[in-house]
Amino acid sequence: MILTNLTAIFRKEFQSYFTSPFGYIVAAVFWLIGGFFFSAILEEILQTLSFLEQSGQLSTPVDVPGQFIDSFFGVIISLLLVLLPALSMGLYSEERKRGTLELLATSPVTNWVVAVGKLLGVLAFFIVLMIPFWIYEIIIFSNASPPINLNIILLSHGSLILISTAILSLGMFISSLTDSGILAYILTFILILFLWIMDVIAANLQEPFKTVLSYLSLFDRYTDLVKGVLDISSLVLFASYILLGIFLTAQSIEALRFQRS
Amino acid sequence: MIKVEHLSKIYGSTTAIEDVDFSVEKGEILGFLGPNGAGKTTTMRILSGYIPATAGTAKIAGYDVHEQSLEVRRNIGYLPETPPLYPDMTVEGFLQFVARIKGVAGGERHSRVNWSMERCQLQDKRKVLIRKLSKGYKQRVGIAQAIVHDPPVIILDEPTVGLDPKQIIEVRNLIKSLAGEHTILLSTHILPEVSMTCDRVTIINGGKVVATDTPDNLMSHLTAKGGYEIEIEGDIFSLEPMLKNLPGISQLEINSNSQTKRHVLLLTTDSHQEIGKDIAALIVNQGLDLYEMKRTRATLEDVFLNVITEESSSEAQLEEALETSEIE
Repeated sequence: MILTNLTAIFRKEFQSYFTSPFGYIVAAVFWLIGGFFFSAILEEILQTLSFLEQSGQLSTPVDVPGQFIDSFFGVIISLLLVLLPALSMGLYSEERKRGTLELLATSPVTNWVVAVGKLLGVLAFFIVLMIPFWIYEIIIFSNASPPINLNIILLSHGSLILISTAILSLGMFISSLTDSGILAYILTFILILFLWIMDVIAANLQEPFKTVLSYLSLFDRYTDLVKGVLDISSLVLFASYILLGIFLTAQSIEALRFQRS
Repeated sequence: MIKVEHLSKIYGSTTAIEDVDFSVEKGEILGFLGPNGAGKTTTMRILSGYIPATAGTAKIAGYDVHEQSLEVRRNIGYLPETPPLYPDMTVEGFLQFVARIKGVAGGERHSRVNWSMERCQLQDKRKVLIRKLSKGYKQRVGIAQAIVHDPPVIILDEPTVGLDPKQIIEVRNLIKSLAGEHTILLSTHILPEVSMTCDRVTIINGGKVVATDTPDNLMSHLTAKGGYEIEIEGDIFSLEPMLKNLPGISQLEINSNSQTKRHVLLLTTDSHQEIGKDIAALIVNQGLDLYEMKRTRATLEDVFLNVITEESSSEAQLEEALETSEIE
């Protein structure tokens, strides 16, 4: 029963990105800019290497995939800063604007199921957006020498998906607060920006705020993971952000029932 | 099937509904009639579980709308004021989605969706995107989503609003055909709709239930108060007080046309007594020309206006009295 509801919400949400021009525009822009950086970064690394090689300064083999992953995942996360709010902004604000929230709220579905289904739907679309980059990487790294460290690649992608889910989850909550998609976008963007500079803020604070804030910094954890530092506490932190977003969403939809006039 | 007791809803300082009581029996169509802002939508939203009530209880199919919300939601089909539609879905895709979230079992889903499309005459639009549909079709999709899971209770908030006359007749027939197996509560501010579709009417005004009865009873209650419409020509200055003094006349309204010097008198009588001949005699004795005279009967519209003005007249009188005393 719950599973049927969950898949129904998930499918509806996932398909909605393909039935409007919006999803295609987002995908086109993301693939264009992401693809540009992908090739630009790769080219720069290779050029530097060939320069070093020609000038005889290169003695040991260089981990090109590792270097590439490091730079590329730094760039792509800043791209996502702009992209992710666009994906999450409509999750609830559209339902509120169209009045379809009334349908969901009067159907035998709990707020939790709706929130989780929606998050999975937008996550699935995000993964679709990432697929071309996986293909590029497979093509490029499949005959790298020395062979690439698969764990690092998987960890980087895993952490990218995790941090994106966390952001989408918080974005979903913000989207549930308003019926304006634009407002949801701006607020989510500001929130991510805040999370982004959190460790900078933390550095300027007194103890104990410094430790607390730097512990909560999503982007610090992300950078660690991309470098291959697997820490269970990082995973717990990501999971907490995701659950927090879902929890707040379910609560805000529940609270709406008591506010409506 | 629906039992509402002492239901109240207060938003901040405004009272949307107060002490609302009514019940709907199985298979019955109850019309919820009232002007805009009377509290119809609020009541329906409480029944559907969309908003909680401030006080009172409401039960649907034996389940409390607040305590057993999920059970209630499983047992109702609800069409809100604006049909809740996803513009980028096809009619069939949308109904499939609704059937899923309403808990229709996988095996039945296909046939239920087909059945609801058939009932709402949507078969040839099944592959059309909802945003491309006309308003009438959108409303039908709205009704289809309310019946797709075959709920015992159907709540329709203004189901015919914004439709053209032909569509209105179709929707009314559809609603009538659903009664019997389903219990239906529908709201409207259009009066003929109630007499045409509903078994019983609950009139609500200013958040309070003013009357509940069958449309026929409500009308016969008021047809006792008949009246006359009279067209005359001449000077009515002396006629007016004489008419007012005539026994059995409760109200007199005069619409004058200054160019033709013709007057249309609207008389309301409060008894079954035939005073037509007295009125005619009076007019002729005064030397006025009588052009037309006919009996008028109360329509449901009059019942409605009467019932809702009766309720507020005592307050109005008080205000009037206060105003005049201030002037003096």
